[in-house]
This record gives sequence, structure tokens and C-alpha cells, in this order.
Amino acid sequence: MGFIGKGLFDGMVVTARNFVGSYFDKERLVTVQYPEERVQTPENSRTFPFLVYDDDKSPVDTMRCVACKICEVECPPQCIYIVMDRDEKGKPRQRPKVFDIDISVCMQCQICVEVCPFDAIKMDNDYEKSQYGRFDELVEHLPDLLKSNEYYNRIKPTEASAVDAKLKAEKEKKAKKAAPAAAAKPAAAPKTTAPAAPASTASKPAAAAPAAKITIPEDAPFTPEQRQWLSGFLSTIPAGAAPVTGAPAPPAPGAQTPAAGAPTGDWPWHDPALGMQQRLDLAKSASLADKLMAAMAQTDCHACGYDCRGYADAIAGGAEKDLSLCLPGEAETADMLKKLMEEAGKA
Amino acid sequence: METLYQQLRSWFAHAPDSVLFWVSVAIPIIFVISVFPGIFAYTTLVERKALGRIQNRFGPNRVGRWGILQPIADGLKLLIKEDIVPRRADKLVHFLAPVIAVIPSILLFSVVPVGTGLVPVDLNIGILFAFAVSTASVLALFMGGWASRNKFSLLGAMRAVAQVVSYEVPMVLAAVAVVMAVGSLSTLRIARAQAGGVLNITNWFVFRPWGFVGFVLFTIGAMAESARTPFDIPEAESEIIAGYHTEYSGFKFALFQMGEYLASIAMAGITVTMFLGGYNGPGSGPGWIGGLISMFWFFAKLAFMIALNIWIRGTWPRVRVDQLMSFAWKMLLPMSIINIVAVGFWHYITIRPLAWIITTLWLALWFITLAKLAATEGVAPRTYRYAS
Amino acid sequence: METTFWILSAITVLGALFAITLRNLVHCVLSLILFFLGIAGHYFLLRADFLGAVQILIYIGAVAVLMLFAIMLTRHVTGDEGPREVLGGKWWAGMGTAIIIAGLLWAVIRKDQLAQLLPTGAAQTSVAAIGKALVADWVVPFEAMAVLLTAALIGAVVIALEEVIRRR
Repeated sequence: MGFIGKGLFDGMVVTARNFVGSYFDKERLVTVQYPEERVQTPENSRTFPFLVYDDDKSPVDTMRCVACKICEVECPPQCIYIVMDRDEKGKPRQRPKVFDIDISVCMQCQICVEVCPFDAIKMDNDYEKSQYGRFDELVEHLPDLLKSNEYYNRIKPTEASAVDAKLKAEKEKKAKKAAPAAAAKPAAAPKTTAPAAPASTASKPAAAAPAAKITIPEDAPFTPEQRQWLSGFLSTIPAGAAPVTGAPAPPAPGAQTPAAGAPTGDWPWHDPALGMQQRLDLAKSASLADKLMAAMAQTDCHACGYDCRGYADAIAGGAEKDLSLCLPGEAETADMLKKLMEEAGKA
Repeated sequence: METLYQQLRSWFAHAPDSVLFWVSVAIPIIFVISVFPGIFAYTTLVERKALGRIQNRFGPNRVGRWGILQPIADGLKLLIKEDIVPRRADKLVHFLAPVIAVIPSILLFSVVPVGTGLVPVDLNIGILFAFAVSTASVLALFMGGWASRNKFSLLGAMRAVAQVVSYEVPMVLAAVAVVMAVGSLSTLRIARAQAGGVLNITNWFVFRPWGFVGFVLFTIGAMAESARTPFDIPEAESEIIAGYHTEYSGFKFALFQMGEYLASIAMAGITVTMFLGGYNGPGSGPGWIGGLISMFWFFAKLAFMIALNIWIRGTWPRVRVDQLMSFAWKMLLPMSIINIVAVGFWHYITIRPLAWIITTLWLALWFITLAKLAATEGVAPRTYRYAS
Repeated sequence: METTFWILSAITVLGALFAITLRNLVHCVLSLILFFLGIAGHYFLLRADFLGAVQILIYIGAVAVLMLFAIMLTRHVTGDEGPREVLGGKWWAGMGTAIIIAGLLWAVIRKDQLAQLLPTGAAQTSVAAIGKALVADWVVPFEAMAVLLTAALIGAVVIALEEVIRRR
């Protein structure tokens, strides 16, 4: 029944049907009216990082971040700025006082989330972050960044429940280990052939015995040696105490295998509360490696890639040439290290 | 206008002559300038919303409830936009082109009767004046394209002028058929000739064989005149950026749009007058009540024609420029001449049923012949050449 | 009435003057359009409304558009024409011709002679009267013009056809 112009007429019928149908059949109109309705983003979508805390009653006390500055160092565009919180005596509390993320710089690569050993920083999926300015208004500070674990569970249920299960398992293991009040000596650590391993000071049982060994999660990006070392290190941290390092041979990437050493009292200068001159005085009679260690900032933050002892051993042994890796120590440490190396070279 | 003057005279017998004269001139002007640009503004909104619904989406609905303030927002935005004139453009011509685009479109409204006896100017040569004025808008297309110093604008202007000029001829000849049937060029008399009949409806010319063909021809010609889809080659974005009004920004662009839409609304008004019975409908007639009802019928029919325009815009694809020209010269022009002959038959065969039969047969046979002749080039199977 | 006449005449004469003196060719055509408008106005003033409307329809709508097309297709698109002599070297030839024609016209339209030539009675200016006159009294010139127009149309088609054949 094709008359001339039938195609045109059929087209008109189709559009008429669409037009009339759009008033009666609500599913025809697929527009999502944006501010009133929103399209659900998938669970894995990510925008900018946020910090997780566990208890609503005191977010600042229960935040998981310990200001180790790994994410600050690893961030490719360097958009994170962290300052560790210290108490009145200058001892570091294991949490940040200042944690700024510049979201106009952040490229949402998620590397900070991948390297964080404490599951403290996670990716948010909130995309409505427009501000009226381009500079200060787009820097997020610590109060903005702290969000609860419930929020994390809400936006990313699968991921968050996995993290929660892992943390719970670790806590249980730690409680089981705390029953025998053993030292936190990681057992049978492989001895190294690394030159910077003062065997005399190693393997002494610790004075400040921690409760149990904390294991690092399996998906954290560390080699097994690094993981073991970190476990040992972390287990020396009861609440508020200063970390004591005992291990030689820090987890430098692939360079050395650390000997799991117990923390000792042999390094009296290893106190971040002491000033530079005090520390050097305490280490005056010690070896070069000890003097170098005394010049550092004593936080064991691993910004240089080692802990303080390990960095000093590496410099003294010649394995590490870069003297300016100590982030907390900044220029003071770098200059002192240079001076010490020059004196050692002349001597 | 004379009757308005006399009417005012009879009410205010004591007022001085010149005042009455100027008042009787001002009232139609104010009516046209306030009503029809308002219709234009809300036609743009209705068009956007209707096209949206056809395309399974909402139209604009953010500015004001249901988007009612959208035309005002658009107008304001275009007003405060920077007015960019290309550096080596012809400044005078560039400035005059949008002006010359709008003036004929507004002048067209002066011969459209909106109610019984209500036409701003009752000219003896109403239809001829309408066509003369709409021809002048061709100049604006050319001036816009030339003054922009842009090869694409010039090309768009050439195609636009060719399109408008070629579709004018069948349009005018279709109108000639109506003029022949009525015996006068005055739009008021044409509308009056369609009164009477059952419910004031059956005398409409669209219900006559020659009137129906004429209606189709005139509507197609009117759509091509104002460069509306499917004939919007001159200004389609995917074809030629924006053709002759590429280099216009801000309010000059708004004036081009206004000229185009007002021309399409005015042509719709003239179509209504000539084919759809003008202001006639059940209940229209002389006097106050009849006049108001006739105004209602006129605007209802105008709304129908505008809706038809929008519907066609949302449905049919764009016609290619060579298809466009061949359609005009090979199909519409012969059909319009045949239509004139058909009116002649209608007029001179006094036995009505016989006139119906002969006219309908004449038109149908010629239409089929032309269609077959035009459809000779089919779609040949494609031949491929492969690189060896 | 008088003031309208003088204003229209001013527009017409100025349009004609600018059409021959402006440098830019498109501006010349535009002022020629102004001239046509002035003439149409004069027709309306003389109550020959059909003629005035047809003047606009044909001269402005067709002839001027044709001239613009011709300019557009034959000129360099950017429109840089270079200096153009407004009054050329042989300006006295044009001036002389204009004076001769003006004199002839004045001789023709002097009042006493003209009145005898004009037809008596009121002018029949309605469209119906013009139509009737064309096919009754003046049918031979009408048909002759129709033949001329058809010949022109066929000639245009032939020229275009040649080009199409040559291109194929």
C-alpha cells in the first residue's frame, strides 16, 4: 500500500507517537535531571583521596594515618603536604597535624592509597567539588579530609569490608600474641651479608617489649623482607611511645635484606626530641655510622627509604651517596651529613 | 485602517482630526509589534520543547517553571554578548544585513487578517505586496554572506539565494490559483470568500482539489523561503557551519533568527488566510463577539501551522542542495502551473460534481506523471574499485 | 503630498548618484536598490500600486539579485579591486549624452504638448483592469513578450546544458 510520499508520512507517525508517548510513558524520557537526581557512579569510581577514621566520637584520635609521609613522597604530582603532630616536649604523636591535599593538582592516580601501609587514605567518589576560586579554595585540609569508616563502607562496600576484615584479623593476631608477653623479636631473621650490619648491637632483646607482632597486609607493596622488618618496627609502637629501631639493614628497594634486629638502648641519641647538637654530643665517641645517624631526624619515617640506622649504615658503607634524603631533617641534617662525611674523608 | 479611523471618529467625535489619524495608525502598529514578536519568542521555546519530546528528552526546563523564561534569558544573553565584526568585513553591509532580514518579516504582518475585518492595512494588492516584501529578504541573505568575507559564508549565501529564489516561483503561482478563484488580490477579500458553508468550514479552499494541491505547494514553498528544515542547507551547522550568518554574534545573530522565524510565522499566517479559511470558523462573523471568536480561530489555525512546521522539522532529514533545486524546478513548478489550469477548469465548469471529477483527475494524473518522470534515476548497485 | 514627492525624489536621485560614484561595487548595487525603492515609491504616489509592487518584486527581487550574483561570481572573493576611476578620462562623452537626453525629455514633457497626448478619463489602475487590458487591447505585445521570455528561458537552459554536456 505504498503511495507516493509514504515514507514521509510514516516518519511523521513515528515522531507523533514519540511526542504523545513522552507525556504518558515516563520511561521514554531518559534524561536524568541533574541537581535533583543523580546517576549512581560505579563502586570503583574514584575522584580525590580522603582519610579514614574509625570512631565518630573522636575522629582525630582514631584516624588511621600515622603521618609516615609515604604517600607524600610517592605522590607523582606532589600534591600532599604533611606535618607530624608533636606533643609539648616535641615527641611525635603518630598522627598528622597538617594534612593538605591540593585537589587542583591531584591526578587521582590512587598511588597514595596503594602505598599506604595503614589503610588510612582511600579514594572518595565525590565529584561535586567546584569552588569559587582556583588556588586556596581547592586545597583540602585535615578536617575536610577526615571521613568515617561508615562513610567508607557506604561508598565502597566491597573494598571497605575487605579492609575491615583484614584489620580485624590483624588485631586478633596481635591480641593472641600479647597473651604470652614475649618480646617482639621477629624470629629467625635471615642474617645479611650487608656491610652495614653491626652484628654486635643486633639481636638484643628489647627493653620496651611490645605486645605482639603486627603483620602487614598481604597486598601492601613490600618485599617479604621489607614486610618482616616493618612488622618488627611497627610492633614496637605502643600508643604514644617513641618508636625504637633496632634493625639494621632497612628495606631499601631491593638493595639490602634487613636483619631483623631487636630495638636496643644502644643509641641514646635516637630521640627526636633532642636537638641536633645534643644528639651529636651523645654520639661523639661512636663510629661514623653512629655519628651520621645522630645527625638525622630520628623519626624513622622511611622517607629516605631506610630507617635512620639503615640510612646511616648505608652512607657510611658507601652504598648510599645521596646525603639529602632525610625529609624531616631538611637542610640541617643534610649539611651536617656533608660535614661529617668530609671530616671522615679527610681523616 | 480607514474603518478604524471611522470607528474612532464615531466614538470620539470631538477629537481633532490629526490625533485620530495618528491613533488609528498607531493601534495596528502596536498590535503587530507586541503580539507577533511575542509569538516568535514563545515559538522558539515551544519548538525546543516539542523537538525534545520527539527526541525522548525534555526541552529546556531550568529557567523558570517549564522553561517559560528561557526566551527572555536567551534574548538577554544575546544582547550582552560581544559584537564581533571581522576585521576586513564590509562594515556598512555587515551592519545592514540583519536589519534588512527583519524588516520584510515584520512588514508581512501588515496584510494578514487576524479577525473579521481586522487587518492592519487593507491593501488592494495585499498578496502581491506580501510577495514583493518577502522577496526583499533575499537581499539580506546575500548581504550577510558577502559582508563576512568568509568563503563558507559566501557559499552559503549563494546557495541560500538560489534556494529562496527557486522556491518563490511555485509559491507565487500557487497563490495565483487562489487569487484566480477569489478574483481579488486583497487578503481581506480572500478570507471573506471562504466564509459560509457548513459551520464556516466547508468553504475553505483546502477542501477543494486545487486548493489542497495549492496548500501543499505553498507550505513547501514557505518552508523553503524561511530556510526551515528540511530546506535548511543555508544555515545547517553540519553543512556549512552557519552559512551566511556565521560571522554574526550577539544581537545581530538574534535579528537573523528573528527574521527567519517571523518570516515563517508570517508565511504561516498567509497560508492560513489563503487556504485554511483565514479567521473563519464556527461562530465567527461580524460584530464584537463574532470578531473575538474569529480572532481565536485565526490564532488556533496559526498554531496548527506552526506545529506542523515544528513537527516536520523534527521528522524529515535535510534535503541535499541538488535534490532541492531539482525538486523545485522539475516537480513543484510544473505542478503549480497545472494547478492554475485546474482552477480554470473549476471556474468554468458550472456543474459542481463534474468540476470536482475533472479537476481531481487532471491534478492526480499530472502528479503521477511528474512523479514517475522524476523517479527515473533509481539507486544503481554500487560498483567497487579495488586497489590492485 | 509635495513633501513626500521631494523626499522620494531625493532618495531616488541620491541612490542613482551613489550607484555610479561609489568605489565598492557591491555598495553600488545596494544604492541601485535604493534607487529602485525610490521609483517604486513614486509609483505608489501616482496611485499605480500594482506597478509599484511589481517594481519591488521584479527589480529588487530579481534584477538586483541577478546583478549581485554576477558580481559574486566574477569578482575575486576577497573583493580587493584596487583603485577604480570614478570619473574616467572620457567623462565629457557621458556628460554630453546626458545633456542631450535631458533636453529631449524636457521637450517632450513640456506641459502644453503633453496634455494632448494623455488619454482622457480616470486612469484604470486596478489589477482587474490591467489584466483585462493585457489580454484584450494589448494582447499582441503581451504575446510577443511571452515569446521573448520563453526564448530567453530556452537560451538559458541551452547554455547550462552545453556546460553540462561539456563536463560529462
